[in-house]
Amino acid sequence: MIRITRPLILLAPLLAFLAFAYVLPFAGVIGWSVSIPEPGLQNYSSALTDPLILSVFWRTFRICAIVTVISVVMGYILSLLWVRGTPLVRTLTELCILIPFWISVLTRAFGWLALLSHRGLMNGWLEALGVIDDPLRMIRNEFGVIVGMVHFMIPFAVFPLAAAMRNVDERVLLAARGMAASRTRIFWQVFVPMTAAGLMGAALLVFVFAIGFFITPAILGGGRSVMVAELIYLRIFQSPDWGLAAAISVILMVAISALLTLLLKQLSPKGAE
Amino acid sequence: MNRTTNKGYKKMKPTDNFTDDQLELLADKVRQGKISRRKFTQLGAALLGTAALASRGMPALADDGQLVFVSWGGDAVDAYDEAYGKPFEAATGVRVRQDGSGPTEGAMQAQFESGAPSWDVMDADAFSAESLGKKGMMEPIDYSVVDKSKMREGYGWEYSASTYFFSYVIAYDAAKFGDNPPTSMADFFDVEKFPGKRSMYKWGVGVWEALLMADGVAQADLYPLDVERAHAKLKDFKEHVISFWGNGAESQTLMLNDEASMALIWSTRARLLEQDTDGDVKSIWQDGVISPGAMAVIKGNPGGAANAMKFIASAQDPEKQMVMFDMLSQGPANPATDDLIPEDQRRFNPVAPGNFEQQVSVDVEWYEENYGAALDEYLAIISS
Repeated sequence: MIRITRPLILLAPLLAFLAFAYVLPFAGVIGWSVSIPEPGLQNYSSALTDPLILSVFWRTFRICAIVTVISVVMGYILSLLWVRGTPLVRTLTELCILIPFWISVLTRAFGWLALLSHRGLMNGWLEALGVIDDPLRMIRNEFGVIVGMVHFMIPFAVFPLAAAMRNVDERVLLAARGMAASRTRIFWQVFVPMTAAGLMGAALLVFVFAIGFFITPAILGGGRSVMVAELIYLRIFQSPDWGLAAAISVILMVAISALLTLLLKQLSPKGAE
Repeated sequence: MNRTTNKGYKKMKPTDNFTDDQLELLADKVRQGKISRRKFTQLGAALLGTAALASRGMPALADDGQLVFVSWGGDAVDAYDEAYGKPFEAATGVRVRQDGSGPTEGAMQAQFESGAPSWDVMDADAFSAESLGKKGMMEPIDYSVVDKSKMREGYGWEYSASTYFFSYVIAYDAAKFGDNPPTSMADFFDVEKFPGKRSMYKWGVGVWEALLMADGVAQADLYPLDVERAHAKLKDFKEHVISFWGNGAESQTLMLNDEASMALIWSTRARLLEQDTDGDVKSIWQDGVISPGAMAVIKGNPGGAANAMKFIASAQDPEKQMVMFDMLSQGPANPATDDLIPEDQRRFNPVAPGNFEQQVSVDVEWYEENYGAALDEYLAIISS
């Protein structure tokens, strides 16, 4: 009994805070979505049928999917180095993961701007090396958005992946080697399946996080890559239609909740065995 | 804790009796956010009796108090304080606090809907103020206080009064096109004659007008805007646009870094660019799109409508508008200010005689009715 109730008591303040600061306001948002400008579900029907809004949903989904795949693959490689590298490699990897993680998202977006812009460092080097004649367009388009987002997301992919890799029982790998499996085979048939839950968790975490992105696309997208968070902002502040904005938020919330449920299932002890 | 928060706060007025003192104490607590305004009214009513309260009024949370002026941030915060805020406090004792959080239409609506707005006067788009005003969220401008004769004709609306002008103008790379500069909006969209990338405003204003002018519509025939025609032109042209800038700083960067050879930018920024580049970036007034900046007041504003109107009226002073011209290159709303501008700087004034006639003026009514829908389509086109 004590075991169960104590955590609950300790959790109570947090739960009360969440109820007050999130659940209550969100109930208000749901209220807006079915009452502004008039009662009914018309906001939902227009959010789900309006080709403009659907195209934003689709673009958001597409960009997030690309960002997720790249972040998780790169995160997997980094995690391998971090968990299984030599001590020097581990330290260097750790720095490469943690230092960007501590820097504000704004600073990083402007950093990419300096690095990748028309007259940026990268174009300067490439031109000096004679690789290109005209500057490459690496920002103010979707490419720039994806670079900026991947950079932000990699640590979020690394943490669950590294945790999963640390849990891999070394003896299993030794056993595989003992049965004469090649390194490649051990990696693909033993190591990767054993970290599959971490992969799933990382992918979902990155995807869910990416859906809400706002600043990075705004700075690196050249005003183009309107994603769903920006659409909501637009409908709240720029050309107010709070009912519609609320409906889009609720749809997004439901989608994210569904993904998170999946995530929690994956991360439950059963999924990680 | 309380003592420290008290420090630096406004001195209390001398009070003549206990009740007043109690009210002052309460009022101070409201100012510090310790109790809500509603609670203050309740407690005040309990102290005085409701009838008494109505006749003598509450101690001036508003009158002795302050106004919150909301602008779009950045350099504007200092400029508004310098030009209008400080002189107003010196003249009336009402402190004007500056807030740069950006009075978008939705933000103003949120202020009103909260039931306890913290904003008083906003540097708002006239069409936003009109649209909200018709929903009962804005205080009508009191033209017995605000002087219409100190405004250009047609720029005083029901819920907002013009206090400055800016313009969407063509800025071009003079190092590149100096010998043969662009002379019209058609040139802006002509990438054969004027090679290089372009940049324009992310939120559509001025761009629709530009697209239509380039497509052959005369300035006088622009409104009501043929959005469909403008968007057809935009679809054809957008590949030449490197970036749709969302704020003034961004628009400058694009020209400074040579990312664009021409851009449709605010005249206020065009002047800065010309100065910062020693004339390597220049701009023209021809086919510019003049847009008024206006002040509006939230209905039920905490500082009271009377003071807010006085503040707007104070901003009509030519000397003060001159400060805004110097600091932000705002074109003056009061024609009398034009003459104060030194001869050599008049070319930077969007509404100066000679400049004004080359441009077209934004139709506030059209934007009030059509902006939201047009912007949706516009964003869909530029994002796809």
